Amino acid sequence: MSWRAVHIEDADLITRARAGDVAAYEGIVRRYQDVALRTAYLVCPETDADDAVQDAFLKAFAALPRFRDGSPLRPWLLRIVANEARNRRRSAGRRQGLAMRAADADPSPAVDPGPEGAVMAAETRSELLAALGSLRDEDREVLGARFLLDLSEAETAETLGLPRGTVKSRTSRALGRLREALAATAGADR
Amino acid sequence: MTDRLVRLDDDALGAALRDLATAVDWPASGAIASDGPDIATRVRVRLQDAPVARARAPWRPARRAIILALAALLALAAVAGAVGLGLPGLRIFQGGSPVSPPPTLAPSASIPTGPPGSTLGLGRLTTLADLDAAAGRQITLPSDPLLGPPDAAYVDPLKGDQVALVWAPRPDLPPTLDPGVGLVLMSFDGLIEDEYFGKFIDSGAVLEPADVGSMDGYWFSGAPHIFFYEGNGGGFVDDDRRWVGQALVWSDGTTTYRIETSLPEADAIRIATSLE
Repeated sequence: MSWRAVHIEDADLITRARAGDVAAYEGIVRRYQDVALRTAYLVCPETDADDAVQDAFLKAFAALPRFRDGSPLRPWLLRIVANEARNRRRSAGRRQGLAMRAADADPSPAVDPGPEGAVMAAETRSELLAALGSLRDEDREVLGARFLLDLSEAETAETLGLPRGTVKSRTSRALGRLREALAATAGADR
Repeated sequence: MTDRLVRLDDDALGAALRDLATAVDWPASGAIASDGPDIATRVRVRLQDAPVARARAPWRPARRAIILALAALLALAAVAGAVGLGLPGLRIFQGGSPVSPPPTLAPSASIPTGPPGSTLGLGRLTTLADLDAAAGRQITLPSDPLLGPPDAAYVDPLKGDQVALVWAPRPDLPPTLDPGVGLVLMSFDGLIEDEYFGKFIDSGAVLEPADVGSMDGYWFSGAPHIFFYEGNGGGFVDDDRRWVGQALVWSDGTTTYRIETSLPEADAIRIATSLE
């Protein structure tokens, strides 16, 4: 399915949802619920992520009349999700923390560990996740959006409510601070 | 391995993070989980359970008359604002009624089943224990001994996490226009930027300034009035409009409160100040 076909289908669902077709809106939610939940997971405690996404989709439904026709739906939805997740993070405070976990390591990965960027050893994944989780919120959010969610700079900007130029500079600075966090971990292990 | 990550340049470290995405234990939306419906299903059910949630295309014929009537009142609203008839997040409209008043003000003999307030479209029912978390802020309960703890609590995420506490009627707490409701205390963030609430005052309603402790407020009495709110861009959520009897509205500067009650004004003010 081409991007254009997806886009048209979004537009059709939006039109129907605006007219009160809840089933059409359910289709929109189902299409974006996974990336929405991952977005919330990057921002707020895991225990709040599901509720944040549900409430965000309810708010988005009410806000559909204000959605600008022809603009991409995904970042518009993700911005509402990110805002809702931030509200819940503020409510939860830092007590619960943000603990992204690595899935159980596959004992027999299909791809051999190779050069940088290829499949990493489970231990390295955990260290990288821990370093990412130790960053301040704005750094973790921009790296999460750009690389874990694989959003474009433009999508990241809209999702996080930032100017596009800020995304580029903040990503660079956040990568630097990620290196510092990794270096601190490596120093502690020696 | 960590040493090697530290030496990576930005592009390579970014690639490592993209690779990491496949290893994160992401929460499941339910679509692939076995423990219940997915988020899309739950959202659909919540929308169907909350008629206020209907998104509307602008200028549907059924809404046109209402919107035109309200638009005609904007000048009056500006006058009202000029003389101070407003609170943060609240606009008060004065003028003729856009819809017919209720046939009778007498409480109906039929009392709806379910928790008190469940038919008023107040949002999602929650428990007092979960109220703060559901609303995303600390909710103060009135300490006035007449009331005791509320019988039901609701949070509406579609209206800036508006909170509604509801008490059932009792011999010392007469019913409101809704026979199953003795008193409603609502609160919402009065500083939300993209929407505001409004009260539409029918010509028979009386509006008086009221001192609520150190805070400014208004007391609505006489003929019933309509409560509604408007989203940004004129998207009236008119399913929420309903007739309201006596009401006290006040603001502490950040949060706007509303009490609907058949109690006298002095009792409503006493209950309001017990929140301080």
